[in-house]
Amino acid sequence: MIITRLALPRRTFLRGVGTALALPLLDAMVPALTALAATPASPARRLGFVYMPNGVAKNSSGIDYWTPRGEGQGYELSQILTPLAPFRDRMVVVSGLDHNQAETGNDGASGDHTRGTSSWLTGVHPKRTEGADVRNGTSADQVAASVLGRETAMPSLELGIDLNFLAGQCENSYSCAYLNTLAWTSPTTPLPAENNPRVVFERLFGDGGTAARRAAQARQNRSMLDSVLDDFARLQRRLGPSDRVVLTEYVDSVREVERRIQTVEHRAETELPTLDRPKGVPERFDEHVKLMYELQWLSYRADITRVTTFMLGRELNFRTYPEIGITEGHHGLSHHADRPEQIAKYAKLGVHQAQLFAGFLQKLQDTPEGDGTLLDHSLFLYGAGLSNPNTHAHVDLPLLVVGGRLEGGRHLVSTGQVPMTNLLLTLLDKVGVHADTLGDSTGRLEIGPLAGV
Amino acid sequence: MHARDLGLGALLGILGALTGASPIRDTSVRAAGQPAIEAQAAFLKRNCLGCHSQPQKQRGTVPVAFDTLDLSQVSADAKTWEGVVRKMRAGLMPPAGMPRPDRGSHDAFVTWLEGELDRSARLNPNPGRTEPLHRLNRTEYQNAVRDLLDLRIDVGALLPADDASYGFDNIAGVLKLSPTLMERYLAAAQKISRAAVGTAPPFPAVDYFRVADDLAQDDRLPGQLFGTRGGTTIHYTFPMDAYYTIRVELARDLNEQVPIYAEPQQLEVSIDGERVQLFTLPGVAGPAPAPAQEPGSDNADDAPAGPKADSGPPPAAAQRGGSGPAVRPPAGRGGGGRGNRQGQELRNRADREWEVRVPVKAGARDVQVAFVKQTSALPETVRLPFLRPYPAGVNIAEQRTGAYLRSVEIAGPYDPTGAEQSPSRDRIFVCRPERAPGARPATALAGRAAAQSRGGAASIDANDASCARTIFRALARRAYRRPVVDADIQPMLTFYQEGRQDGGFDAGIERGLRRLLVSPEFLLRIESDLPGTAAGRPYRISDVDLASRLSFFLWSSIPDEELLKLAEQKRLGEAAVLEQQVGRMIGDPRFAAFIERFAGQWLFLDNLAATIPVQQSFPDFDDTLRQAFRRETELFFESVIREDRSALDLLRADYTFVNERLARHYGIANVKGSRFRRVELGPDSSRGGLLGQGSILTVTSYPDRTSPVVRGKWILENLLGVPPPAPPPNIPELKPPTFAAPVLSMRERIAQHRKSPTCASCHNMMDPLGLALENFDGIGRWRALDESGAPIDAAGVMPDGTRFDGPAGLKRALLGSDRFVTTLTEKLMTFALGRGVEYYDAPAIRAIVRESAGTEYRLSSLIRGVVQSAPFRSRRASGG
Repeated sequence: MIITRLALPRRTFLRGVGTALALPLLDAMVPALTALAATPASPARRLGFVYMPNGVAKNSSGIDYWTPRGEGQGYELSQILTPLAPFRDRMVVVSGLDHNQAETGNDGASGDHTRGTSSWLTGVHPKRTEGADVRNGTSADQVAASVLGRETAMPSLELGIDLNFLAGQCENSYSCAYLNTLAWTSPTTPLPAENNPRVVFERLFGDGGTAARRAAQARQNRSMLDSVLDDFARLQRRLGPSDRVVLTEYVDSVREVERRIQTVEHRAETELPTLDRPKGVPERFDEHVKLMYELQWLSYRADITRVTTFMLGRELNFRTYPEIGITEGHHGLSHHADRPEQIAKYAKLGVHQAQLFAGFLQKLQDTPEGDGTLLDHSLFLYGAGLSNPNTHAHVDLPLLVVGGRLEGGRHLVSTGQVPMTNLLLTLLDKVGVHADTLGDSTGRLEIGPLAGV
Repeated sequence: MHARDLGLGALLGILGALTGASPIRDTSVRAAGQPAIEAQAAFLKRNCLGCHSQPQKQRGTVPVAFDTLDLSQVSADAKTWEGVVRKMRAGLMPPAGMPRPDRGSHDAFVTWLEGELDRSARLNPNPGRTEPLHRLNRTEYQNAVRDLLDLRIDVGALLPADDASYGFDNIAGVLKLSPTLMERYLAAAQKISRAAVGTAPPFPAVDYFRVADDLAQDDRLPGQLFGTRGGTTIHYTFPMDAYYTIRVELARDLNEQVPIYAEPQQLEVSIDGERVQLFTLPGVAGPAPAPAQEPGSDNADDAPAGPKADSGPPPAAAQRGGSGPAVRPPAGRGGGGRGNRQGQELRNRADREWEVRVPVKAGARDVQVAFVKQTSALPETVRLPFLRPYPAGVNIAEQRTGAYLRSVEIAGPYDPTGAEQSPSRDRIFVCRPERAPGARPATALAGRAAAQSRGGAASIDANDASCARTIFRALARRAYRRPVVDADIQPMLTFYQEGRQDGGFDAGIERGLRRLLVSPEFLLRIESDLPGTAAGRPYRISDVDLASRLSFFLWSSIPDEELLKLAEQKRLGEAAVLEQQVGRMIGDPRFAAFIERFAGQWLFLDNLAATIPVQQSFPDFDDTLRQAFRRETELFFESVIREDRSALDLLRADYTFVNERLARHYGIANVKGSRFRRVELGPDSSRGGLLGQGSILTVTSYPDRTSPVVRGKWILENLLGVPPPAPPPNIPELKPPTFAAPVLSMRERIAQHRKSPTCASCHNMMDPLGLALENFDGIGRWRALDESGAPIDAAGVMPDGTRFDGPAGLKRALLGSDRFVTTLTEKLMTFALGRGVEYYDAPAIRAIVRESAGTEYRLSSLIRGVVQSAPFRSRRASGG
């Protein structure tokens, strides 16, 4: 399928747009080149995860701005979830799931923010270390990517909002690696989350250029990697047997990139439009988040990736949100000390985050694809690794599933100790990826069918 | 005799003699120390065993029991004993509230224990084992590219941030190579090789530079041209001789509107100090301003924002970019009319066409954009009562009286004419292939190849290949940081050949360079075991590896020619040579990386960039102050090293560095302008030393107030080296204050921490240290009253119970032991080795501290000590 390059004059290409204006322009350059678009009636084939840092506005004695009132179909949307009302019929709010592996365990001390992040998609208690023995589990998104990503240029895309250059020990003898990303491609390899929209854009679309040029580029890169593998083989001989183990991981990374390039090569005949690029990191939170959603939309639309993780901030961050009247640092405010007015204030952030998410869902909904819309073919898990942030609770986590052709409209409340990983396994099922277990899973959580699957 | 004085030969000799003879050694140790041991055992029994006994340990109340440890063989439990030394030296044990031994017997016990541990370390040295593969972090990558190719890159746009451990982002164990990263390395290599050789990219690059919203732009900023105010300077590398467009954008208010200004606002764009364009935003008062014209412009019909060529008449191409219709206010209505909707729209569009297209020669240049400073009587700079220039909240009025710059965008190259000469090309092309028929080949090798070939084409091929080989040999040697052999450059030559066939010699070099930049030997520092070393045994690292350890420690970059040469001659390891080289490296401009990366992370200066004190509490905080904070601490840290001062001066100095903005903040009179200068503070000034600097006081505060807990924790971790243990799980929540409760002072508020025994054990250590700094508010201003209006009580207590008062007292108390110097040395060691400091490093660290005591703990002597230490010079072979 050949897409004609948009005949944008250079002036347009160059036109600087304030970050606020950048979004519609991204919109204007929709490349209608997805493979999925060509396939009618494609089921949900995309899986996205959106993570809220520092829990949600609730305490342990009844104040709760997240959890809906009532169960099943007749439930009443909570304040935080109200912006998601338009998607109610394809959304299941899931309450009562826990992340036991995020608890202290035998570790002897806290580190709840770190574990909240690192176990969210792995269900594994991360090893408390700052050294080379960093160890978590393979995350659900990466399990999905290993299957869904086989046909796309990028198996998955990891996005964040905060910079992770902050100095200082991260949290109680845990490496910052555990705090910086949700995605672990193996128990020892975290994938870095990118916060710069411009960089994400270049990863998605490269330098651009003609199809021939990009094909040549891909060929060159692949032969470079081949040659790099030779380097590693030589290195192997120089290192002792125990050191070779590390090398194997590196070689695997190179091979994986090689595989990706091969995948792209097959699709390199598609012509990319001349695109306006995002310029950098917007200063305002909402603009930044919108742009990152925009890029996820774009990557889905162009079928560059089918799996995304997005952190709306890093745990422990001290960002302020003056635009919605929050001038305390995020983490500080989340420790609301049970004061009703503090919790109410914190709820404003939850609402704000939900509004931004709703905007993204709307956009997916408005984008036709195959026999339906982009949203019909995408499934999302939205939530946090802490519930009541004041006590660092990892029980009754705030979670919701939305998208696909999910028969939603329900509030599902689990009782007893049900690990969140059961839900993750179910989500994997929904997108056609089978895994027997994940982390501490004990089975699957029935959340209802996807219509047409 | 310290371990570091002992040649490795001697060490190994001792080891050899003792191998398999451990019973003899034990007997001798025991025989020599028996009476001493009994005395120490008595000390333990008297002061420690009450709690640290086996039954207590089994109950889980203490982590360590002394009744099961053998004092006659401390090496068997070295890890535990080193923990004991640390806690006792920091005054943490016995804990406050328990009976304490007298100072003399306390010190005698620790000293004896340290002596024993040091002695066993000498007999059985363990320099630790750095990881065999150590990926360059992105700072190192950026600096390596700079030093290899004379090319400045913005690594933040090329590579993802690195994960940190142990407080630093150069820890080998967590610098992994994920597929994501490998992909990025490929893309980066392409961009870098292109820019270095000077090849046009498929699309012009657009680089966007955003000015912080809260940067005050009312006065001249550091480094800007005189007669200007505000704006920004961009150090930009123009990859080719070509046209570039520079676009500028004005700051908006919170509603994305360009505010009304009384006077016309003129924004000047210059490259390397030479004006290339002047843009004008009409003021509201006067008549429509004449279009801004360049002196001597021959194109009067052009728009005000017309392009200007810096040499000769503007080429036709130049007309394409940059000029748009002039934005003139509607006739007869001044600058668009206050409150007039149409006027507002015009203003908002005023800078839409503010773009200039200029020819620029390849190379690094300063692009400066700044406003022309008004000479009118209007007081641009008076903006009372607050200094913060930008309303951070919706309900706060715009406070800027003049236009501000929001962003600059540089795009290009357009219509490139190549890159005849650039610093990168000068660096790369150490030879050019000869083209004259019958020319002598550059090397004998190529000569042979040429002789074998027949026609001229083959001779050119050989000629080119010979030059390419020379180029890649030079590049690979620097990039791989070691001598190279033919096999090393073969991959580059293969890609060179491909590229040359596609696009000529330069294209070949570019392709080969791209290959070099993704080579594992460039991206990873590789330390392999010395062949023949027994498993688990220490060996001295090669001079070549030493060169890299030095350069990555002190420059965050690759070794230079001098280091490499000395390493190749196997002379770098000689004590005198090493000493001399360290001195040279500290004096080199590249040492700036050490200050930025080491001090930036140790002292948390990096966090300043993300620190946004809230406007309601700190209306004066702005980016100018934020930048000044960092600059002050960096200049200060640098002065202590360069002036060869004692590390203790870091805490007790009676001077600092300020510019006008910072001086106002500190209440220091008579400092004018944006330039930083040294000011004397007088002895015992609260401001002197790191603990009086706005940078540290701000990053250890919450956005809206001080936090004695955070400050106390910071001191324990970063100055005393005893991070408080993690809070226990399931912390009981503090009772919220009732509405009727009186407003409490900070001291009263956090007193709650210490009511519960669970919390008190740590807060008793943290809080009193932080409370001593309460006279400094959340952004480091001096104050006598706290937020509640209560006079500040800055009394504090050290973990060992020593009482003191205020910042000056805190500093004296911190200097009362060598914990500060020891902690600093540990941090240096962590940063130098790229691994966490372990218990077996403690003897080496003690030796460094002891040695430097002779030079009053000069900071430079600590750095030298680290470089000469066994962990830095040696490595343990795997296994064993």
